[in-house]
Amino acid sequence: MPISTFVTPRRLMASSLLGLGLAAGLPAQALPIDECIAPADPGGGWDFTCRSVGKLLHELDLVDGNVQVTNMPGGVGAVAFSNVAGKRADDSNLIVATSTVGMTQIAQGRYPGDADTMRWLGMLGTDVGVILVDDDSPYQTLDQLLEAIVAAPTSVVMSGSSGAGGWDHIRALMLAKAAGLPGDRIGALRWVQFDGGGPAVTQMMGGHVDAVSTDLGEIAGFIESGDVRVLAVLSDEPLPEPFAELPTAVSQGYDVTGYNWRGFYTGGEVSDEDYASMVDTLHTLYESDEWKEVAAQNGLVPLWRGGDAFSDFVRESIDNVEAISREIGVIQ
Amino acid sequence: MDILDFLVHGFAVALQPEHLLLALIGCTVGTLVGALPGLGPVNGVALMIPLAFNFGLAPTAALILLVSVYYGCMYGGRISSIVLNIPGDEPAMMTTLDGYPMARAGRGGEALGLSAVASFAGATIATIGLTLFAPLLVKVAIRFGPAEYFALFMLAFATIGGVTSGSFTKSFIAACLGLLLGTVGIDPVSSVARYTFGWYELYDGIDYLVALIGLFAISECLLFLERDQRQDAAPVRLGSAAPGMRRSLDCASSIGRGSLIGFIAGVLPGAGASLGSFLSYSLEKRRWGAEGDFGRGDPRGVAAPEAGNNAAAGGALIPMLSLGIPGSGTTAILLALLLSMNITPGPLLFEQQPDMVWGLVAALFIGNVMLLVLNIPLVGLFAKVLQAPSWFLMPMVVLVAFVGIYSLNNSPFDLYMMLAFGVLGYVLRKLEIPTVPVVLGLLLGGQMEFNLRRALSITGGDWSILWSSGISIGIYAFAATLLCAGLIYALLVKRRLG
Amino acid sequence: MSEASPIHHAALGDRIAGAVLALLALGAWWHSHTFVTGFMQPVGPGVFPRLVSVPLGVLSLYLIARPGINQRWPEKAALVRQLGMLLLLGCYAVVLEPLGFVPATLVATVLLMRLFGARWRQALPYGALLGLSLYLLFEFALGIPLPDTPGWSG
Repeated sequence: MPISTFVTPRRLMASSLLGLGLAAGLPAQALPIDECIAPADPGGGWDFTCRSVGKLLHELDLVDGNVQVTNMPGGVGAVAFSNVAGKRADDSNLIVATSTVGMTQIAQGRYPGDADTMRWLGMLGTDVGVILVDDDSPYQTLDQLLEAIVAAPTSVVMSGSSGAGGWDHIRALMLAKAAGLPGDRIGALRWVQFDGGGPAVTQMMGGHVDAVSTDLGEIAGFIESGDVRVLAVLSDEPLPEPFAELPTAVSQGYDVTGYNWRGFYTGGEVSDEDYASMVDTLHTLYESDEWKEVAAQNGLVPLWRGGDAFSDFVRESIDNVEAISREIGVIQ
Repeated sequence: MDILDFLVHGFAVALQPEHLLLALIGCTVGTLVGALPGLGPVNGVALMIPLAFNFGLAPTAALILLVSVYYGCMYGGRISSIVLNIPGDEPAMMTTLDGYPMARAGRGGEALGLSAVASFAGATIATIGLTLFAPLLVKVAIRFGPAEYFALFMLAFATIGGVTSGSFTKSFIAACLGLLLGTVGIDPVSSVARYTFGWYELYDGIDYLVALIGLFAISECLLFLERDQRQDAAPVRLGSAAPGMRRSLDCASSIGRGSLIGFIAGVLPGAGASLGSFLSYSLEKRRWGAEGDFGRGDPRGVAAPEAGNNAAAGGALIPMLSLGIPGSGTTAILLALLLSMNITPGPLLFEQQPDMVWGLVAALFIGNVMLLVLNIPLVGLFAKVLQAPSWFLMPMVVLVAFVGIYSLNNSPFDLYMMLAFGVLGYVLRKLEIPTVPVVLGLLLGGQMEFNLRRALSITGGDWSILWSSGISIGIYAFAATLLCAGLIYALLVKRRLG
Repeated sequence: MSEASPIHHAALGDRIAGAVLALLALGAWWHSHTFVTGFMQPVGPGVFPRLVSVPLGVLSLYLIARPGINQRWPEKAALVRQLGMLLLLGCYAVVLEPLGFVPATLVATVLLMRLFGARWRQALPYGALLGLSLYLLFEFALGIPLPDTPGWSG
């Protein structure tokens, strides 16, 4: 559902006057980004990315008026991707939230287009994968869970917010593979997709699935309340507080990491000049203390890549995921 | 502190003049938006969010405003159902079945008054439930896994046969048609486009609002145009709301049952207000059987679904606040609002933000009373609207619906689609095939399919999971009983008619 | 409309509807086999449409065999008015974006009121009033942006 903006004339005037005042002091004032498409329903990671960034852009006066957040769910971002490619390729007021999940879809050929269809603006931070079980689950450690999976792949039902072959699933499969599950038995693992990390965790609390693989940011509340037990976080190093106690998979002898960065793209026909100024706007946002604070509250590690460096990184990510998907058997 | 202390504290928050004023604004705007066909609670809440930001409201104040709009919409949706036979939003669909016949018989005021009291009772019961049992209910709700949800949807479709006055066969045909239409679009599990035939506009599926407005509003206008216009029917007289308020005492048991069923449906994420009002209506109809006059203006057919949909709206707040899972489109928007204010609903919300939560609960109680009081003068206002000549009234309804649908996606394609559904609705009504099951199939089909596929992913394709828990067996048994009762009842009626 | 008296022996409508719906069910069944089942999915995207199209097909055949009651179909004059409304609204949807909201709506309201039986001297002022109030309601009170008229920035 689209959410419309309401801009009172007075506010519009005030902010454009402010813009005039600043124009003298700042180089090429950024173009007004006025819409952010979250290619999912409210509540998930992409929606959060759009809403928090949209709100900060407004509060830091990096844009005129409000940034309208449009939820456009469907096909794990495919609907939004084809909409922007088809109808709004040159709209320089528009940003679209994406993440490693979107790269996985591109790598597996599930979007109508490839990395060259869009212009990649930048990433602002990264979320990290977690493997969770219920607090009264028989699995106390990652070793126990993975041993059970290797011994009898059909005995453990795992779930997450992505579909079979999506990023949450791939991370779980990478762990199973690292634990020694032979490639031809990977297809026997059970995977259930829910509408998001939160619903997956509550279904696990109800005893319908055994373990969840998802992003930390989406379910941080359940970790703090003690309803779930974290068997592993998929980062290279232990996380900063308040999650410093959580064990990494690496420290338990499984060389598996799985981040989920948060970033934005815009249409492929946006001019170089507009593109550069949008990248600048996002970089200014990234540099602010407010963003660092919002990121920390939501379990994101602030991390910046922008412009051409980000475009290269996107292509590299897609190649990586494609290689992993091929290795695991998601794509032939 | 126990619940009572929290609640007293909550009232102290909600009774601040600023919050009272916001609740009043929210209730009024909500009722009006809800009454306009094509604009529902999702629009009402969505358009208030930027307003809340622009005034720089504190989280509690903003939430009070938005929840008042939400409750107001649930009240308002019934008005056009009763007065025009066009539901203001999808949960109010069931109210057309008996509300409109009452209005045609000159008892519109009574229906409006009765439904206001039923809405009030439903919402109040749900709010009390939210206050007392939220943590307990969450524990019950998480027992519902994919297989149990699938059973719940089967229950809804098993009871569909007896809902409208038409034949069993035709009701089930309509439901299957709705379910089939619901599969159009990109399949969320496999990203495969189904029945889109290369039309990009269909990728996101058929919007149920587009279908609802087409099937009800446009087809109503087409039917209207059949009449000879020189002898325009005498304007419908609404009558006073007072008898309806008294009537609600007679319907107290219907209201009670409707509230309970609606509340349960609301607490289960993904079931929502439409299922709540639908089940309330169909079970109430089964309860009375041949004694009732359902479909021809039975007051209980107005009381039960209205209590049900308002109770479901209240119930849906429970999973949203305590698990962070939205149970409906509207609670999804409320959730988004909370998130953008850096409040993450979840198991710790009641402990971390007691001011906010209990202020909200108190605001719900206050908003309810306000809505009931507001509704008495509003009946008079809507009576005035109805006195307008039909050459003004009908174009107004069509155009409000038109612009409302256009504003969903700014897409003319939705408008063509709405006209196509209008023609479909007209033909179905001529064939005496009910349109309610079509919308219901479209609304619930996606979740029904998704849960079926989830259940089968858990077992790796073994269908026995569908009937392997006590909850799902119980639901199927209940559904089978109702289905048999309905079939036998239909046979008896047929025999009696000769 | 519910008060219109049903004709009890008009089975033809039901038979045609049954045939159309049975064909639809058959088409849906057949087409669902083109949906590719993805990686590690025990239930593919074609299963649910097939599950639904079976009862739809069976019930449609039953409807052909045992048709029920239909309502009276419209007279010719009414049919012309109904087609007029669909045509008018269809054209309105087509010109809404190219012409902009205000001019397209003003024409649509006036013509629609004529269609619903208003005289010109009623339709013109009230049509204009309705069109403009809709514009004010949506654009300003509800804050929903409507298409602008090209070359006319307001």
